[in-house]
Parts: sequence; C-alpha cells; structure tokens
Amino acid sequence: MNKGRLLAVAIVVATLALLAIGTIWPVPSAVAYAGGGKGDLLVSPSTPEAAANDLGTQIRLHAWDKAYSSLANKAEFTQSQFIHDLTGYALSLRTYATLDGFEVQPLHQSANDAEVIMKLRWSTVVGTFEDKRDVHVVRSGDHWAVNWPIVPEQHVPPQVIPVNYLRWDVIKSGSGDDWGAQDVEAPHVRIVDMHPVNRADGVVVMGELLNEDVIPAYVSVRATLVAKSGSVLDSEGSFDMISHTLLPKQVTPFVIRFPGIDLSEVGSIRMVPQSVLVSASADPVIEVQNQQYNAPPGATLTGQLSNQSGQTVNVAHVLSSFYDKNGQLVWVAGQYIDRALQPQIPVDFRISVPEDIARKINTERTVVSTYAVGSFQ
Amino acid sequence: MAAVAIHLPLMLMQLPLKSYDTNFHIFFASHYVHHWFDPWNVKWFAGFSQTTYPPLPQQWVALLSWLFGLNMAYMAVQLAAILLLAVGVYRFSRLWVSPRAASYAALASVFLGNESFLVYSAGQLSTTFAAPIYLNALPYFFDWLRYGKWRSLLKACVLLVAAAAAHHATLIFGSAFFALPVIALVLLDGKNEDREADEKPSVQAVIARTVTLTIVVGIAIAVVLLPYWIGLIRYPITQTPIPHPSRASYILSPEWGLNYFLVPYGALILALPFIVIRGAAVARLRPLLLGFWVAFLVGLGGTTPVGKLLLGRAFEVLTFERFSYWAALLALPILGLVIMEFIDRFRLKAAITVALLAASTCTLAVAWSSIRPADAANFDVSSVAQWLNRDGHDRFRYVTLGFGNKLSRLAIMTDANSVDGESNSSRMLPELTKFGGAALTSSKYFAKPGMDSLRAMLAHADRYGLKWVIVRDSYYDPLLYFAGWRQVDELDNKTITVWGKDGVPPATPMNTSQRPPRWQGVLWGTLPFGFSILALLVIWLPEKRSRGFRDDDLPLSTEQTIDGEVIS
Amino acid sequence: MRLGRVGAFVTAAAMTAATAAIGQSSNMTLPPSVVAGSAFSIATNGSGKAVLYIVGPGQAVRRDVEMGQPVSFAAGVLYNAGHYLVILAKDSTTDTEALDVVPAPNPETLGFLAQPSRLPVGVHNGISGAVYVFDAYHNLMTTPMTASLELSNSSGTVQSRSIPTLNGLAWAEIDSASKEGTVKFVARVGGISSTRIIDQVPGDPCAITISAQPENGKLLVQTAPVHDCSGNAIPDGTIVTFTETYNDMQSTVDVPLKQGVARVTMPAYKGSKISAASGVVAGNEIIWNGGR
Repeated sequence: MNKGRLLAVAIVVATLALLAIGTIWPVPSAVAYAGGGKGDLLVSPSTPEAAANDLGTQIRLHAWDKAYSSLANKAEFTQSQFIHDLTGYALSLRTYATLDGFEVQPLHQSANDAEVIMKLRWSTVVGTFEDKRDVHVVRSGDHWAVNWPIVPEQHVPPQVIPVNYLRWDVIKSGSGDDWGAQDVEAPHVRIVDMHPVNRADGVVVMGELLNEDVIPAYVSVRATLVAKSGSVLDSEGSFDMISHTLLPKQVTPFVIRFPGIDLSEVGSIRMVPQSVLVSASADPVIEVQNQQYNAPPGATLTGQLSNQSGQTVNVAHVLSSFYDKNGQLVWVAGQYIDRALQPQIPVDFRISVPEDIARKINTERTVVSTYAVGSFQ
Repeated sequence: MAAVAIHLPLMLMQLPLKSYDTNFHIFFASHYVHHWFDPWNVKWFAGFSQTTYPPLPQQWVALLSWLFGLNMAYMAVQLAAILLLAVGVYRFSRLWVSPRAASYAALASVFLGNESFLVYSAGQLSTTFAAPIYLNALPYFFDWLRYGKWRSLLKACVLLVAAAAAHHATLIFGSAFFALPVIALVLLDGKNEDREADEKPSVQAVIARTVTLTIVVGIAIAVVLLPYWIGLIRYPITQTPIPHPSRASYILSPEWGLNYFLVPYGALILALPFIVIRGAAVARLRPLLLGFWVAFLVGLGGTTPVGKLLLGRAFEVLTFERFSYWAALLALPILGLVIMEFIDRFRLKAAITVALLAASTCTLAVAWSSIRPADAANFDVSSVAQWLNRDGHDRFRYVTLGFGNKLSRLAIMTDANSVDGESNSSRMLPELTKFGGAALTSSKYFAKPGMDSLRAMLAHADRYGLKWVIVRDSYYDPLLYFAGWRQVDELDNKTITVWGKDGVPPATPMNTSQRPPRWQGVLWGTLPFGFSILALLVIWLPEKRSRGFRDDDLPLSTEQTIDGEVIS
Repeated sequence: MRLGRVGAFVTAAAMTAATAAIGQSSNMTLPPSVVAGSAFSIATNGSGKAVLYIVGPGQAVRRDVEMGQPVSFAAGVLYNAGHYLVILAKDSTTDTEALDVVPAPNPETLGFLAQPSRLPVGVHNGISGAVYVFDAYHNLMTTPMTASLELSNSSGTVQSRSIPTLNGLAWAEIDSASKEGTVKFVARVGGISSTRIIDQVPGDPCAITISAQPENGKLLVQTAPVHDCSGNAIPDGTIVTFTETYNDMQSTVDVPLKQGVARVTMPAYKGSKISAASGVVAGNEIIWNGGR
C-alpha cells in the first residue's frame, strides 16, 4: 500500500474511531444535550437502574413517544395521561418546566422486579422543585421496564359555585389637577415583627407585615444593614419571599437574605416597608388544611391547599411563619406549588425547616399567595 | 459574478437580519456611528466597553451607514466579505492546485453551505469578514517564506493584522489550521528536485522567516488591539460557561447534527471521501488535508473528544460552527481539484451534477434561516422603543424577556439603557456571569442557570435602577408577579406587556472603573480601521507573480491514483 | 439651557450693580407699590432715549423709553408679587429704584392640604387641614385673613374652626368622628372655598365572635357581623384568619368578610379548637364536640 492510500485509510479509521469514542464516552456537553444519557443510541436497558435512567433521559428530552412506549404498564393509561402526569393537567409550573436532572436510587431488586426511587429535579420560572416517585421496575424478557406510578387526575363534579365577587378599583387624580389637590393615600402598613438571624450563608432578616388599612395594598419590604461604623453593608429586598398583595388586616411574613454577611458586623438594620394602592380582588380563597408540623429529625411542615373558589389557581406560593413558645418569630420558609389548584381539590405542600431551628418551633402560621393566568386583564 | 448574482439579491432582501447575531453587529455599529472614539456603551450591561470585541467590520458598517443606513451598510459589508472570499479562496487554492482547479474552488466558495449558514443563520459577520482577509494574506505569507520578499512580508503582515482586527479568533486558530500547512508546503517544495534554487529555501530560512513574521504580526496585533488585551488582562473571562448546542454530539443529538453538520456542509459531505483520497494521494496536498481533517474534527463539537482534548477549557467557551467553516475553506482547494477531474472525466454530466449539488447546498443553507429561524416570531419593537423614550421612562433601566435577538434592535432604537445584552464576552455584572445563562431575554432556554441569572438580576433591581421588565412571553409572568413587579402597560396589540417595580431609584452611571481611558478610545477608533485602509493600499504595490503551484506538481489523474502510480 | 444661564447671570449682575446704585438721584418716579396684575405707569424726567428694566422674582421687563414721557404698563404685565428693581439706563448712567408688587386684595384660589384622606374613626386630632390663600395670579396673600375649616358628615354634624391666617397660611387639627363614612372637609377664606373628601373608616375589629355548625360532613364556621369598638361594621374584604387545631394538626384559612361576615368550611374533627383573628385582634375560641 502506498503512502497516500495509507494516509487516507488512517484518516478514515481514526475518524471512525474518534466518532465511536465520542459516542460511547461522550464529553459532558454532549451528555447534557443528549438529555443526560446517550440519546438515540440506547440499547435495551439491562438493569432496573438503566431502565429508570433511560426513562429520565427521555423525559428530559421530551421524547414522550419513546418514554411512554418504554413503560411496562402503559396499558393502564394513555400517553396523554402520562404526559399530563408530568406536565400537569392544567396550566401550572409543571407545564413549562424543564427537567434539570434526575437521580435513581435502587431500593431492592429480585430476579424479576425491583424498586427504585426516581428523584426528578424540575426547573421552573420561579425555581426548582423535586418530584419524587417510587418506581416499580419489572423484567420483560431480556430487558427491564418501568411501571410508571401515575397520579390520576382528580375531577370536580359539575356544579355552580356562587362567588360574591369582591374587588377594589382605584381612581387616581388626573395629572392636570391643582397643587394641593387630594389623591387617595397609599395603604397604611406596619411591620409588626422583625427578627435577624445569623446563618451559615449570611444574615437573614425575617418579619411580618400587617396591612392595617381597609383597602388592599401591594407591599414589599427593603432592609439595609448598617455597620457599626455607620457605613451601609448591603441593601436587599424581600423579592418573592413575601405575599405582595395584602387585603385589609392581612399579615404576610417576609424574608430578606444578605449572603456573605455576618450578624456581628451589623450595627443596625433599617427597614423600609413600601405600599402602593392597587386594584385587587378578594378571590380566590385558599384554605390551608391539615397543616401539621413534623418534629425533627427531618422537620417539615406539611398540609394541603384547597381552593375554595371556582377559578383555577395556576401557581400558588405558600409562606409559613414559625414561632417559638413565646410567640417569637424564629423562621420563615416558603414553597411554590407545582400543580394548579383546581376548585376544591386538595394539593399537598411540604416545607422543610432547618434542624437547628426546628427544635425551637412551637406554632406556625401559613399564608398563600396565588397567581391565575389572565388575572391582569 | 456568481457571488454577486447569488448573494446580492439576498442582501437586498436583508435576509441576514433573521440571523442570530446580525442585530448584535448592527448595534455595535450604531454605537460607532455616534461615538467612533468612545467605545464605552451604556446601553447594555449597565455600561460596557466595546473594546471587548474586535471592531473592524462593525466600524465599516458604521462608516457605510452614512450612505446606506445601518441595515444596508451591514449588507454591503457582508457582501464585500463574500466577494472577498471568492478572491481569497482562489489565491489560497493557487498555492496548492492549478489555476483551473482554483477557479472551481473559488466558484464553490460562493455556494459553500458553511458560508451561507454563517451569513444567513448565524450572522457571524466578524468570522466571515476575517476569513477572506486571512486567506488573501496567506499567499503573501507563502511568498515571504519561500522567496523572502520584503514586500510580501509587508503585505502579509498588514493583511493578517487587518484580519485580527476583524476577528482575533480567526487569526489564532487560523495559524494552526491554515498557516502550518502553508509552512509545510514551503518545506515540501524545498525538497522537490524539480524546483529552481530560489524556490527551495533552507529549513533554517523558513523557520527564521516564520519567526520574523510571527514577531512582527504579534507586536502589531498587540498594539492595534491593545485596548482589547488590556481589558482581557484587567477583567479575565471567568464567567461560567454558557451551553451552546454546537458542543453537542451530532450523533447522540441528531437535531443538532442536522443544524451544525448536514446543513452547513451539504453536498460537500458527498465529496469528503474524494477529498480524503485525493488529498492523501498527492504529497503536496497532505498538509492541507491534515489541516482540514483537524479542523473538521474540532468542528464536530462534542461528537468526538478531539475538540475537548485540543482546546481544554476553551472548548466550553468557543462555538464550533466556525471550525466547520474553516474546515470547509481548507477543503476547497482539494474540492476544486476533485471537481476539475470529475468534469474532465464525465464532462457535461459531471458539470450538471456538480452545479445541482452546489445549488442545493447553498439553497438549503440560505433557506435554513427561514426553516429554523433564530427567532420564530418576527415582530416590530418600535412600539417598545417609543414607550421607553417617552414620559421619562428612560430614566430607569429595563430588561426584556422573550425578545430574542430583537434585544439588539430595540437597543438601537431606544435611549433607555438595559442591564442585559447579547455580547457574552462583554458583560461584567456578577448576576450575568455567575450562573451560565446567556442573555436574560432568553433565560428560559438556559433552564436553571438562565432562570437563576434572571432571578438574581431582578432581586437587585434597585441597585441597577432596573424598573421596567418588558415581556413578550407570558412564561415569565408568574416570576414577575411573585417577585413584586406589577403590570403597568400593554403594547403592540397586547402581545407585549410592561411590568414596573415601585420604589426603584433612577439609574445612575455604573461600572465606570471599567471605562477605557480616552487614549484607548482614540487607539480603538484609529488603528484597526487604519490597518484595513493600509491593507487596501499595500496590496496594490507591484510584486513579481508568485510561483506556488506548478503544473508538474500535480500530474495525476484519478485513474493513475487508483493504479497506484502516485508520485509522492 | 445656555441662554437661560446667560440670562440669569446678566440678571444677577444687573441686580448687584443696581443695588449698589440705589440711593443716587433718580430720573424716574415710581408708585409706592403696585398691585399684582394691575396697570401702572412710571414717570421719567429729562430728555433723550433710555432703556428701562424691571427685574423681579421670576420676571424681567425691558422697555425703550423717551425720557420725560411716562412709561405705561398694561394690566397683567407684572403679576408676581415681590420686591422688584427698576433700572433706567441712559448712555453710561443708570438710575435704580425699588418697587414692591403686592398681591391682589381679594383671594382667588385656596391651596388646601387635607391629611389624611382616609383614617379610622375616633382619632383625636387625626385630621389636619392647611390652607394657603392665593390671589388670581397665585401670589401667596400674607395679609391676615380669617379662614374657616369645617368638617361635616352626612348626618349634618359639623365640626368647625375659625383661625386667622399667618403669612398666608392657616391650619387646624380636628378629631375624626365616631361614625364611619365620608365627610366633607371645607376650607373657606373670603368667598372662596375648597373641599376635600375624608374617608372615615372603621377601626380594628373590637370583638370577633365565631360559631360553627356541621354541613355535609364538614364544619361551617362563621363570624357574627364584625364591628369596631364604635359599632361600625368592618368593611367587606377585611381578612379574618380561621385556625382549627386538632391534635398536632392545624388548618388555617384567610377569609375576606363578605356582607359583614366571614364564613368558611373546615374539617370537622371532634375535639378540635377553632379560633379567629383579624390583623392583631383575636376573637373567641370554640371547641367542636360533634355538634353539641
């Protein structure tokens, strides 16, 4: 063989070898774009974990056809039900969530079946949430397949829910009015509790804000940490850790985080509550049912949200205040609910509490702020 | 003529405006229109320096905009680059193959899918502007190495510096992929017994001349792009890498293989075996073949481990469609030879086949910008610009969500400043660099990193005077609602909503410590553009015709190759 | 912008120079004072041409004059009250005199600041009103006048204060009534009046009383009509928080008052404790014993 042919063959062979290496042992970026797995080149999974991993990859890639057809129990539900189980039956955080990652933990395995836990970490517009499923995996011939634990959609019986629609609208003075003309005042709000704590990642300022007015208020709280020397250390706002719309006499907890600052550096804290008069509605009413504080280890606050109105709430944010036996606020935590709140159908929530704080907790209080599509029109 | 016939109508249709980066280049040019000597641009990232990106093509757009307006000036500069490419490919190919084969290579460059993909889908003006300058510099580089002609050195240096002023990465990687084969070619020719004495420089002479040129060009680039290097040293790029699908495996993710391999290469894929066979058969073409092969492998992104191995961390920063482009350019001389031999053998049938394949390759790459547009929604941002420009709204900063590459178009039209922007290498705000998301306006496409970046920015709205969020994708509504923004207006038949935050102080100048001093602005406005003018002047200096390829360098026909009578 | 700055500089320089020149013999005779907006004239002595400048707060007037002839100014030329300088420039000499422009004698508009626009009932000195008296040209009238402030509700009850203005301002504080509703807050000076509406709203709930009854296997809990300590009904929309505690479990729900009553359906656990609160006011607690 002459040099030219040898070179050509070498190039072709080397190229094919590099392609094979890149496919069998893909670089991390290739893995990420292939959904965390090896995309279309999957062979039939030979272990329960591989079956669950493949399913996770297909879910991540939104390869619904392949994911559904790989299931062992697909005869029990339709592909549409399977998709809605993952993406929500109504418009919710799940609808446009992307699977950021997943973990598969084997629990036990026999010759023909196995139990694994699939932890799906979804990324949504307001943050991440984890969807944990106990998955049964069965052997089917020479490969394994997942029995998907579908959560069926709950239906509300057809009915009419009377809503006594309560709403506030605002008419403000025109821009051409004289000096000294009257306008509607901003709602009167008051911080009724404030408590800074030192945490590993910095200072956390928490508290509660009361709308003491008879009109709704759109509120936020800003805190400024002032050093002992009088210089400003940092200024941050409550962002989404507050219920911004407060109806008359409603109380919201708030949390403001100052990462990287130690409480010993702080001389004083300036709190500035802001309130704006806005149009608002008193609906929907959300009931927090069966709220239960589960003591440490693994302290959590669990409960259910029940939408008592007739309209669907697409996104709900639960904010809980935790108090010690003296009634002192010791912690505030929150959780977005990834499923829509359909009328009268309870949806679970679960809020974790840090272990060191959990032991101090005696009582708790929960508020829910809600977002419904079209509520701005 | 072919380049004009094909690309001029497309430019007149302003087709590149649909691409990913065209508006970004026009935005940079719009700043040079008003502030030629002040690269500090307050419209993005709460203030950033345009010295973070080589300025040459954008400055030409700015200059020509006085005649044609910004959009058409961009088209004019892009068309000039396409025309220059055909010339560059011919001159570069002449080093390797016969004039006729070089002509076929130049003609093929007009139909090259990779070029059309970069022009009409990616909008990479800088890459497509720098590459032809670089290709035109290489024959002078060759002449300098082989004959030691000082005029060639001068021309090579000026053109190489001009190429670097257009796109520094082209020069850095071009040195490996393009210059090394040329050096190898000079050395190979030096061993050829048939060559005349003056065509056979010693190895020492070649090395000395290479080092001389490297030093001269290195110093010149260091000076011409001095503000860029100063910025890079003061503010090294430490941001979290941003995912880019060109780093995917095109086998494991075939949708990206379609986008970054099939569409750009088109019918060139069919020619790859012949390119390898023909390139390997002729000793003189082997350096070129190897250059092509390495660039080709790197251009496959994450499909092979080569890119990651060769580039290290840079693999996570670079995008790889331009490597495929360079690979295709390197393949063109051999392709020209293959086409020539194909036509010689099969005459009209071959000519028709090649023409059809070339046309279909070009058509697919051009149409790809419409088949899979950078922005599915084409909408007008003038209503948003008008809103921002009135009633003192521009006293505050803004961010858009769901605007895609219209972000740049809006920035051109409004007086208001944004904390967002499209130039990833220019941004310094920690909220943007920490997480691994690209532009905030497209946060959701970067999943958790993108959304983390957006949340961090919204949380620090007061710090940046960020009062307005302009939304064209209701996906973001829940975040804004729960984070304390209120919908304050609706625009464009309610397809765009404006959200405001109460209590945000007006925007104040920021990042001023990063502002380049005045002398850097003068340098930036003078040297890169000056070198392009200088390049236009020096290439007219008379010079003895170079003697790269000789007819007896390539006596082979395909049959002879098959018969194993290769002269190597 | 630049012209404005130059003008201001010229004005300041002219006033400085003119002030220094006051007291020298003058070729003009000014009226002792001019009522804002009224016509007036300035007599001049001598012969030849000169230029007359009148520079004052927010106004400057320039006239070419024939010395020996009176210079007339039509009504409305000088309308800002204050201290003016009149400068007569002839050749290289200038004469400077001071001229006071006083507000018109009759009030024309009132600036009436009433605070707050909304407050709970029964707040001592909770409502403050400040009246600024202006003439037709919006000059603050500093001559003392009597201002009256009246707070009247729909039932005809009136609280009134009469107070003299001091430097153009009169102000008073008035208690909010014990009865909710909007009240008219009227300021009068001379024949001019200005009205503001004050919303007197109920205060905090005084006592929240809840009751419970079974309904479809659940518990219907509702408040009695909620009032403040003055007997005013707490407005609809006010949040009442119901809390049901059973063993370690708790259910809470924030319910807005509708038609004066907050009503909610909660789980019916025998032995559960149910309470209600609104803002910082707590109500009674009931223990559910299965309907007994």
